[in-house]
Amino acid sequence: MTTSRLARAAGDGAGKQTRRTIWSGVLAGLGLAAFADETVFHQLLHWHHFYDKSTLAVGLVSDGLFHAGGFIAMVAGLFLLADTLRRGGFVPKRWWAALLLGAGGFQLYDGIVQHKLLGLHQIRYHVTLWPYDLTWNLIAVVLIAAGAALMTGRAGIAGSAMFRSDADTAA
Amino acid sequence: MLDLIPAALTLLADAGYGLASCRLSRRGHRWPRRRAACLLAGSLCVAVALLPPVASHDYLFPVHVVQHLLLGMAAPAFLALSAPVTLALRTLPRRMRRALLRGLHSPVITVLAAPATAVTLDLGGLYALYLTGLYQAAEGDSLIHAAVHLHMFLAGCLLSWALIGIDPVRRRPGTRMRLAALVIAAAGHDTLAKLMYAWTLPAGGGPATARQQGAGLMYYGGTAIDVALAVIVMTQWYLATGRALARSRRRPAAAEP
Repeated sequence: MTTSRLARAAGDGAGKQTRRTIWSGVLAGLGLAAFADETVFHQLLHWHHFYDKSTLAVGLVSDGLFHAGGFIAMVAGLFLLADTLRRGGFVPKRWWAALLLGAGGFQLYDGIVQHKLLGLHQIRYHVTLWPYDLTWNLIAVVLIAAGAALMTGRAGIAGSAMFRSDADTAA
Repeated sequence: MLDLIPAALTLLADAGYGLASCRLSRRGHRWPRRRAACLLAGSLCVAVALLPPVASHDYLFPVHVVQHLLLGMAAPAFLALSAPVTLALRTLPRRMRRALLRGLHSPVITVLAAPATAVTLDLGGLYALYLTGLYQAAEGDSLIHAAVHLHMFLAGCLLSWALIGIDPVRRRPGTRMRLAALVIAAAGHDTLAKLMYAWTLPAGGGPATARQQGAGLMYYGGTAIDVALAVIVMTQWYLATGRALARSRRRPAAAEP
C-alpha cells in the first residue's frame, strides 16, 4: 500500500513511464545516427563532403535541421533517460527498440531523401555509388526491423527493487 | 572613441552588479557565486570580442565569425545565467524596483521576450547581415558596424533569456517550447552557414577561401554553443522536476503516522 502510493506520487503510471522511455530512446537514436554520420563519414573518413554543388537549397535547410536537431535530440534523450531511471520507470527493452527505430529512421531519411532526392551529398565520391547506397539503406531497414521486433512482446520495468515489487503486486 | 564605449559600459555594469551583491550579503543574503562567475565570463566574452586584437582584425572574415560567436551567442548565454534582473529586483530602492517591475510586465517586453520574437530578430539580423550587402556596408562605415554589433548582442540576449534565462518574466516558456525554439535557431544558424559556404558570401568578406573558412567556423562553432545551450535547458528541467519529485515523495511519507 505504501509502495503503491509512493509509486503514484513518483509521478506516473507504468504507461507514462513506458512512453517516456520510448521518447528517450527515439531521441537518443536520432541523435546517435546524426552523430555517427558527422564523426565517421564527415570527419574521420572524409567520404561525405561539407557541401556538394548539386545540393538544392531545401537540402541545406533539411541538413541544418537534422544536424542541429540531431545533437539537441541526443541531449534531450539522455536527460529523459536519466529521468526515467531516477523514477524507477526505465523499460530497457522498449528503450533499445526506440533507439533502433530512431537511428534507423534517420538513416533511411538520410539515405533516401537527403542523399538521393535533395542531392545533399553522396556517400562517397569517385566510386560506383549503388553498392554504397544499397548498403546504407539496407542497414537502415535492418535497424528499423530490429527495433520493431523489440517494440512488441512483454517488457518489464528495471527500476529499484521497491518499484519492481510494486509493479509485480499490481500485475 | 566608439570602440571603447562597449568596454566601458561592461565595466560599469559589472561594478553595479558587484555593488548590489555586496549590499545583499551585508543584509545576510548570499548571492550565488556561480551567477557572479557567469557575469564575469559573459563580460570577458564581450571584452575579447570588442577589444584588440580581435576587434582590430575583424576585417578578416574568420576573425569576424569568432567575434560573432562570442558577442552574439556565448556572452548572452553567460549573462542570462547571471540573473542581473533578479539581483536588481532584490537590491534596488522600492520606487525603482516598482518601475523596473512595471517595465518587465509591459506588453512591449512581454512580446520581445517571447521565443518566437527572439528567434525572428536573431535569425533575421544574421540573414540580412550575411546574405545582403549589409556586411559590406558595415565594413565601410563605423556607425553601421557598431549598430550591427549592438543588434547581434541584444538579439542574442533576447534569445538567451528566452531559452535559459532565470530572471522572472511573464509567461516563461515551457521546456518543450524552449527546446523547439533552440532547434529552429540552431538549424537556421547552420543553414545560413552552409548557404554562405555554397554561395561564397558575404560580399566584402575578403578572398573566397576566407569566406568559406569563416562559414565552416560559424557552422561548427554555432553547433558547439547550441549543444551547450541544450544541456543547460535540460539540466534546468532535470533539476526542477527533481525538486518536484522530492516534494511529492516527501508528502505521503509525512502523512503517514
